[in-house]
Amino acid sequence: MKSFKGAAVALAALALAVVPFAGARAQDYPNRPITMVVPFAAGGPTDTVARLVAESMSRTLGQQVIVENVGGAGGTRGAGQVAKATPDGYTVLLHHIGQATSATLYRKLPYNVLTDFETVGLVTDVPMTMIGKSTLEPKTAAELIAYVKDKKDAVIYGNAGVGSASHLCGMLFMSALGTQVTTVPYQGTGPAMNDLVGGQIDLMCDQTTNTTGQIKAGKVKAFAVTTKDRVKSLPDLPTFQEVGLPGFEVAVWHGMYAPKGTPKAEIDKLNAALKAALQDPKVIARFADLGTEPVSQERATPQVHKEFLAAEVAKWKPVIEQAGVFAD
Amino acid sequence: MTRFVKSPKDVASGLLLILLAAFFAWQALDLPMGRAIRMGPGYFPMILAGLLGFLGLLVLIGGLTVPAAEEDAGIGFRRWPWQALGLVTLAVVVFGLGIRPLGLGPSMGLAVFLSALASRRFNIVTGLASAAIMVAFSWAVFIKGLGLPLPLLGPLLGGY
Amino acid sequence: MEIFDNLALGFSVAVTFQNIFYCFIGVLLGTLIGVLPGLGPVPTIAMLLPITFGLPPVSALIMLAGIYYGAQYGGSTTAILINLPGESSSVVTAIDGYQMARKGRAGAALATAAIGSFFAGSVATFLLAVFAPPLADLALKFGPPEYFALMVLGLVASVALAAGSVIKALAMVVLGILLGLSGQDVYTGTPRFTFDMLELADGIEFVALAMGVFGIGEIVRNLEDEHSRKVMVQKVKGLLLSKEDIRRIVGPILRGTFIGSFLGILPGGGAILSSFAAYSIEKKISRHPEEFGKGAIEAVAAPESANNAGAQTSFIPMLTLGIPSNPVMALMIGALIIQGIVPGPNVVNEQPSLFWGIIASMWIGNLMLVVLNLPLIGMWVRLLTVPYHILFPLIVGFCCIGVYSVNNNALDVFTMALFGVVGYVLVKLDCEPAPLLLGFIIGPMLEEYLRRAMLISRGDPTVFFTRPISATMLALAVLALAVVLLPSVRRRREEAFKE
Repeated sequence: MKSFKGAAVALAALALAVVPFAGARAQDYPNRPITMVVPFAAGGPTDTVARLVAESMSRTLGQQVIVENVGGAGGTRGAGQVAKATPDGYTVLLHHIGQATSATLYRKLPYNVLTDFETVGLVTDVPMTMIGKSTLEPKTAAELIAYVKDKKDAVIYGNAGVGSASHLCGMLFMSALGTQVTTVPYQGTGPAMNDLVGGQIDLMCDQTTNTTGQIKAGKVKAFAVTTKDRVKSLPDLPTFQEVGLPGFEVAVWHGMYAPKGTPKAEIDKLNAALKAALQDPKVIARFADLGTEPVSQERATPQVHKEFLAAEVAKWKPVIEQAGVFAD
Repeated sequence: MTRFVKSPKDVASGLLLILLAAFFAWQALDLPMGRAIRMGPGYFPMILAGLLGFLGLLVLIGGLTVPAAEEDAGIGFRRWPWQALGLVTLAVVVFGLGIRPLGLGPSMGLAVFLSALASRRFNIVTGLASAAIMVAFSWAVFIKGLGLPLPLLGPLLGGY
Repeated sequence: MEIFDNLALGFSVAVTFQNIFYCFIGVLLGTLIGVLPGLGPVPTIAMLLPITFGLPPVSALIMLAGIYYGAQYGGSTTAILINLPGESSSVVTAIDGYQMARKGRAGAALATAAIGSFFAGSVATFLLAVFAPPLADLALKFGPPEYFALMVLGLVASVALAAGSVIKALAMVVLGILLGLSGQDVYTGTPRFTFDMLELADGIEFVALAMGVFGIGEIVRNLEDEHSRKVMVQKVKGLLLSKEDIRRIVGPILRGTFIGSFLGILPGGGAILSSFAAYSIEKKISRHPEEFGKGAIEAVAAPESANNAGAQTSFIPMLTLGIPSNPVMALMIGALIIQGIVPGPNVVNEQPSLFWGIIASMWIGNLMLVVLNLPLIGMWVRLLTVPYHILFPLIVGFCCIGVYSVNNNALDVFTMALFGVVGYVLVKLDCEPAPLLLGFIIGPMLEEYLRRAMLISRGDPTVFFTRPISATMLALAVLALAVVLLPSVRRRREEAFKE
């Protein structure tokens, strides 16, 4: 496998070197490996999603889809690299909700989230859960809300860093309750979870990917899920909307992007492969292990993705500006 | 000279440390300090810059008062291998500049050849051979073996 | 005797043809990428993840774990031979290991590293098997104040890494911390010392700094006296350890193993401290501390054992709590998820064959490493007989691609070039770079824990003294600082008097 791929890369490189201006025609596309940029470190939840999708898309496209981790700056370094890449369909980006929030969080972004990318399609919405240390007083979501309203900034909320999904969830929680808790940022979910399980902090909100194991082992207290509907893998947890926070909805949605100007024919091929991946039983099974499922086929289209992205940018702008937290 | 400067190395180190401290302090000026309870991003750097400056001062004073050990040869600027320093640095910089546009092959070849020039025992045949061997080796190991997403030839040379 | 049943289960899983094969592939690949400077286990494991899709979970994890500790091992080879520490753990090995190599004792240094690592790996694996759950609970007792105190202790001890002036060593530590603070502030997202470059948002890359200061700086230093004296190797003395050597390394290996095993459990950066701590302690208790920094064999044995023990025990929080203690462990968790196993505290009970199989495979892997590497020592040492003017351009090439491959970031390559010059200048001024690197590694954590402790305690600084673990460690730090500073102050005064 490996050596075949290496040989293919070398042959492609040689072939293109001999005929520099041949250029790939659409019907040949794809005739060499496609790079899927993940703007986060390898091993994280987004990386896992990307690798599962990439592996399935490789089979459909008949070319390797290679995941390249370009981490840093809350995902904006990788996104920026793709925005500036040659729009030939050989570079795509798999990014999560951070693509929408970075438009507000970063005031000096060197690219425009809405106009510098072609949307390929949505991929999945990973739900989040609000969890607390095992010794925390409240037992239910309703009690938690009353408790937080009462104790205010005596409650210590941990998150995985500025701009992370857990940070966004915390901001939305505070704005829904109209109160402020003490926020303690960490470098990623791991250390934050360590301090939550160790009882150093009170609350955290994170993706089911990271929390399900801890919840099921009883190391942390789970209060609610952040999605519109309950989550299959955690059926006993109510949604925040059920317990009196109307409109409280946050999920870590993932989408695929190509640089602006990528021909429509290439986008269509990528989209078809993405759609096929989302129906791949293997992908569905692995997504289920992550506590999530692929988006419906109707939502996995460039048009829906484009509108959704614009709506999300608009949704988070006031929340972030109200909190007054920026990443630059 | 020897009346004031007892140990040129320490005086130079002290001055360098004070200079660096000033630089970091200047850079940290723009950062919010905050208070000890809720420290801002500038709090820690500012304290450290101060500490670095203080330590630099101690080294400087030491250099002016305590004589250097006898075996100490001094800084010896004239004996610095300026050419080697320049060429090796240049080789690394050229690699960094070339890796995206030119690809791994050319930039690796250039880097190895340029640094080979830094040796006084350089000869063109071994220089070229080393470059060729490294290009072949890095292709085999990094691209073929480990599957790094790196083209052998970059976009400027018709690769991707 | 539940433990024997568990271990028997583990070995029954690990000693199948397939799993031994994947274990072998793992440690072999790990050793190879460890030897290549720069390229660490993280990108390698990330690249191999897709291959593991098709394997059973146990085999996948066994192979990935093998890559990790194999790389820890291989990293010390390059550190000893050509002064290129590709990972924070091999920085300490490079100090005395490289000096041993210069004196023609590369073989002894490599053999010491191999034996120390094997012993430490075996002990740590045993600890992992017997005490994993209670040790994990102990690790949870460490909150921000305890970690802060631990980092302070580590920094104070790091002054022992320098052979020369204490004041200069302290200044290098502070300079290292300042460099380490570059990048986005964790608390506010404010960029610090980034000069408006997006590439610097995550700070200066450690590998670029370490390979610049140590590797490139050393190459220029060697070119300096190309004519005046024979570069690098004096005549290579025997490859094996003498009786005297063995006598000298027993104690350091035992102490290093103990320190590493303990610190490795702490997910908040303990493993990183282990080799530094082991070095400092050996230098303090040694009867000939003046040899440290000039090729003391104890100074290779202790940190190598500590670092390998720490690498093994750092699996404890990951396997028993589902909490990753470093990026490699995060990748392992990713691999588990891809395999359909939800990481968390339940893995031990729900997947006993996975848990015990990995532990058993670690011991087998360590055995393989020693068997694989002892014969290789002869080959590595012969590598040093290649004329330096041919060898060093190749090293420069390896440094370049190694640094670039960490983040696929050209800026890291330029950073290495810059710090190559800095490293050379510092050495010329008798400012030793090892404390600088330690400051760089620990500094950001120091600040993070300090600020976090203050936030959680709501601004009450007494939190550091009222919690017993943190109070004890801070007291030790003060004591250590006094011990380090007093002789130097006295010496200075004596020198002044002579004037």
